[in-house]
Amino acid sequence: MKNSFNLYLLEFAINALLRQKSKNFFIVIVFTFLTFLLTSVFYITNSIKYELDTTVDTLPQLIVQNMKAGRHYDIDIDTVDEILTIEGVEDAIPRVWGYYYFKKADVYFTLIGVEEFENQYTKTLSNVVKKIDFENSSYMLMGKGVKKVMHENYYKDYFNFIKPNGTLKKIFLGKSFDTQTELESNDIIVMTNSDIREIFDIEENLATDIVVKVSNPNEIDTIARKIQLLYPTARVVTNKDIKISYQNIFNYKSGIFLTLFIISLFTFFIIIYDKANGLSSEEKKEIGILKALGWQIDDILKEKFYEASIISLFSYTVGVTLALFFVYILQAPLLRDIFIGYSALKPSFVLPFIIDIQTLFLIFFLTIPIYISATIIPSWRVATLEADEVIR
Amino acid sequence: MIELKNIFKIYETNSIEKVTALKDINLSFNEGELIVLKGASGSGKSTILSLIASLSKPTTGEVIVDKKKISKLPDNFASIYRRDNIGFIFQKYNLITTLTVQENILLPLIPLNLNISLAQKKLERVMKMFQIEHKKDSLVKNLSGGEQQRVAIARANVNNPKIIIADEPTANLDKKLSLSFIEIIKKLKSENKTIIIATHDPLFFNLDIVDREITISDGTAIL
Repeated sequence: MKNSFNLYLLEFAINALLRQKSKNFFIVIVFTFLTFLLTSVFYITNSIKYELDTTVDTLPQLIVQNMKAGRHYDIDIDTVDEILTIEGVEDAIPRVWGYYYFKKADVYFTLIGVEEFENQYTKTLSNVVKKIDFENSSYMLMGKGVKKVMHENYYKDYFNFIKPNGTLKKIFLGKSFDTQTELESNDIIVMTNSDIREIFDIEENLATDIVVKVSNPNEIDTIARKIQLLYPTARVVTNKDIKISYQNIFNYKSGIFLTLFIISLFTFFIIIYDKANGLSSEEKKEIGILKALGWQIDDILKEKFYEASIISLFSYTVGVTLALFFVYILQAPLLRDIFIGYSALKPSFVLPFIIDIQTLFLIFFLTIPIYISATIIPSWRVATLEADEVIR
Repeated sequence: MIELKNIFKIYETNSIEKVTALKDINLSFNEGELIVLKGASGSGKSTILSLIASLSKPTTGEVIVDKKKISKLPDNFASIYRRDNIGFIFQKYNLITTLTVQENILLPLIPLNLNISLAQKKLERVMKMFQIEHKKDSLVKNLSGGEQQRVAIARANVNNPKIIIADEPTANLDKKLSLSFIEIIKKLKSENKTIIIATHDPLFFNLDIVDREITISDGTAIL
């Protein structure tokens, strides 16, 4: 008259956990927090990696900047014609752009100039250019982050940019635009080249830098070397360089996370160490009593397995679910800023929903089997002793 | 039914020091007998009970129950033997005090995985028999000494074992409760159970229900 699955054993395991409420509650809290932190970091990492990769894809293949005394200066537009003579160069586009500090909100805007009939170097700009009314100048389109800041500061119709000579340049506010990625251009303002030149006082024969398009992406480094030979003092930046600098920022930020991660891992392993080091006299006696009452070693181990599984699976599920909610619904407050807080406008960055099953498995195998083993091994040591010895 | 042949039991307290608890014990107990093992503390009574219950193994010699050499049983088989044959009433009851009365009594049945109605039937039988029904949902830690002992007896009997072993059962009870325990033992003897009691309580000496008294002194049996 035996049932296949021993529900009494499971019930006993649940009762055993409830009998040591405070101790087990502490373990659940630490375990859940560890899983939550690990999963959040991995979720954020995956999302940002995805976002960065997509962003890098939208970056110009090559940027040529004029350098003088180690500083970036405007470049002569005639340089474009010389670059275009290099074999393998598909296009060279002079860019007029700069950062504008908006003191009231303590943020920087990125002002980018466009020309109606010029090729654009990103899909976003190509789309934005179509929306600009080039007949009426002094008109700007902006990223959503900029629009938000403008509204918060009661700029609804126009904005007065302060020029280097102290006079104002009135620019009417246009629509906001969507970008391919959130990281790309949340702080961007797009307007005509002539307006930008006026705001930053850039002469007609100069540009901020030159963007170079290469026909064969495999040739980017070769073309970069050729440009460098042509202009030894210029700085030639490839999209690979930018990707590395992005990754450096990211890796630096993740160092802070690593610290948090190590602290929680340390706490987790203290618990594991404590459990693996042996059972309390109370727990040992209980195993002895159960053996004396006819429990076999595998009955005791099964019961301990249920206890450990309940705690670890519950904590894992809660941790992963909380992380999911925290990262994708709440957009990872506090933690997100550590990762992507390098621009005042970046907090409106939205983490794209990327779930990597492999990551979840990795966290599962990093935590649950370790905890279960740490619970079962000391119990097995005691359960294999003579019951009399344990009870005494 | 139960035979102890040439039993020696030596405990190693550390690698150098050894304590000989039993020296050449030869005893036999018949089915339905009530035997009292008497002797001072540390004489070896509890060790004999422990060997019969297969809670420990002799250093040399054999324990035979129903013609089976239980002293040679591997650990898992020893557990099954205890579960099916032995009801052990410990001196300090060895109850799990944070569990309720019925949870404690059900402990020996858990590995059997019986269907719920059969388990319930067994539980109710012993709770009624040992008059602890009214306390079934109380935590053991909240019970009096006498009540705790009744829970321990009920637990020892829930699986209806053939052999009842009691180690100093009245050591923590007053005279009234000790007499009540003797009444319980009478009831169990009437069910033809083999009962072995280790005690130095004079209440058990010369009792009409006791079939034999065996004195254990310094690890040897004085017959």
